[in-house]
Amino acid sequence: MKLIGIILFLFSSWIVASDHSHDHMDHSDMMHHSHEGHAHEELVDGEKLEVNPERFDKFVATLSNAQVAVVSVKGMVCDFCARGIEKTFQKDKNVKKIDVDLSQGKVLVAFDKGFDINFEDIKKKILANGQNATGMQVVSI
Amino acid sequence: MGIYRYILFFFIIASNNIEARPISYSGGSTLMMFSDNVKDSIYYHFSPTYKYSIGIESVKDNYLNNDYSLLRATYLINRKNTQYSQRNLYINAGLSINDTSNNFYGIHGDWETRRWFVGFGFKKLNNKIIDYDQKHLQLGVAPYLGEYGDLHTWLMIKTKKNSLNDDWYTYPVLKFFKGNVLIEFGYNDETEWDAHFMYRF
Repeated sequence: MKLIGIILFLFSSWIVASDHSHDHMDHSDMMHHSHEGHAHEELVDGEKLEVNPERFDKFVATLSNAQVAVVSVKGMVCDFCARGIEKTFQKDKNVKKIDVDLSQGKVLVAFDKGFDINFEDIKKKILANGQNATGMQVVSI
Repeated sequence: MGIYRYILFFFIIASNNIEARPISYSGGSTLMMFSDNVKDSIYYHFSPTYKYSIGIESVKDNYLNNDYSLLRATYLINRKNTQYSQRNLYINAGLSINDTSNNFYGIHGDWETRRWFVGFGFKKLNNKIIDYDQKHLQLGVAPYLGEYGDLHTWLMIKTKKNSLNDDWYTYPVLKFFKGNVLIEFGYNDETEWDAHFMYRF
């Protein structure tokens, strides 16, 4: 039963540490956010972005001279299961930033403006986590 | 023989939760710790692809005062992804490093949305003392839908039956996860508290 105590300690430590980190990130993002527009309202090829507006605006607030791939993903129903997507994209040095929008089933991936975004490569990375990418829109920031 | 049945009964009740999240992303690995009044277990697995994982489990049996290790493998035989759900079917097996007569194999599956979870499992366990099987069903609901990075909570109920006593045992399970960490607590009158911790690398 000692292990239960260790487990509780590890989890509570993790929660405290990650909340502190999250709060810190939120403050810095909010500062930038107030100076940015609402990029989620932009039309891409005549279609509106189906994203969580607040999450998307927060994501792009710190970006400049970049493009964001908004990837539609099937099977992304769980935060814990989507962690591998973030880890896989973070290994790609061309990726500036990544986020997951669970409510809309989207993955947001930021690249430098001149980078040639390859949907097949993105599909492979999503599939490496066991989900399926079904579409992509690219927004210039 | 009675005492062994008693010991095995508690072992069975305690050993189901470690089946959760049996495969990681391609190249990912997972560390799990499980603990209750019967056993302490540490299980590490690596997933070369999202289709299968291989790992090793170190078990400290608190009743028999016995330590042993299992080589384990899990294979995803079917997955269905939709916009709002995912369905999985897995097979798995394990073999003791010290004694090959101590082994298991089984099948388990789940279907989940962001709000609902349904899971089931069947496992056949063999050893020198007695062979038996176990089955379980698990239902869960998320009381709120957290966003990526939030603390997520699941309220679950689990029911189990094994071939040694032919009774169903039903008890509540609480599951929390945040970031790369997942923790699960279950409570049963017979076994009291158990806990399951998972970290995904």
